Amino acid sequence: MRAALTRYRVIAWIVGVVLILLVVIGMPLKYGFDEPIVVETVGQAHGFLYMLYLVATFDLSRRVDWPLKRMILVMLAGTVPFLSFWAERRVSTLVLAAHTEPAPQPVAG
Amino acid sequence: MKRLWTPAWIARHVAMVVLVTAFLALGWWQVSRAAAGNAISWGYAVEWPIFAGFVVFVWWREVRHALRDAEAGKTAAVGETPAAGDPTVVERAEAVEAAGVRPRPGIGRPVRVTRTVGGHGEEDAELAAYNRYLSWLNANPGAKPGDYPG
Repeated sequence: MRAALTRYRVIAWIVGVVLILLVVIGMPLKYGFDEPIVVETVGQAHGFLYMLYLVATFDLSRRVDWPLKRMILVMLAGTVPFLSFWAERRVSTLVLAAHTEPAPQPVAG
Repeated sequence: MKRLWTPAWIARHVAMVVLVTAFLALGWWQVSRAAAGNAISWGYAVEWPIFAGFVVFVWWREVRHALRDAEAGKTAAVGETPAAGDPTVVERAEAVEAAGVRPRPGIGRPVRVTRTVGGHGEEDAELAAYNRYLSWLNANPGAKPGDYPG
């Protein structure tokens, strides 16, 4: 479960950063300065990275037994620039709060 | 089968069909763009059908879960022979369902199978306690079993 959460967090960050690159740098370059190279390269990569994000989210949701609705919301959150980071924080706190293992007890005496 | 034709499920079926149609249409649009000379569109032409397939996969998995839950509910009701006709059992099941809590069948989601297959709750609690004890021993090398506070 921890490993699945870590996988989710890593790919969520990567997809979030790539998406911001695309929106903040790529789009102005393409539509403002007619220079589509960033959109062409990063855009392609983003599509495939987003697939990994979907797979990681699906795997995590299966392990922590999320309802379908929450899984879909988290998947959609990955498509919104900046919101994806907030969603990643929410998911992490939610999952960790629900699945914290008891700490080992101290030696008596 | 009626389980799959409640309003919530019909909404899911419709959403699945709409999404798959839209994704395939977008894929086809990219294919036509690619054929028109926009080489970068080949990548998107591959991506959209994969997303469509993923939608079908999630939909199919939910359907299977719903059917399996229904099946498990049936066998559980039959299994409790003395209580099978007991109206309180039915009421309880309905109350649980009304509260929005999905009833836990004997077989859970695939990753949980090993945990739930263990048998009765009592055995599980015992096993869990024993495992806690073992991990305590492991975390406290040199401690005597009598020192275990749990």
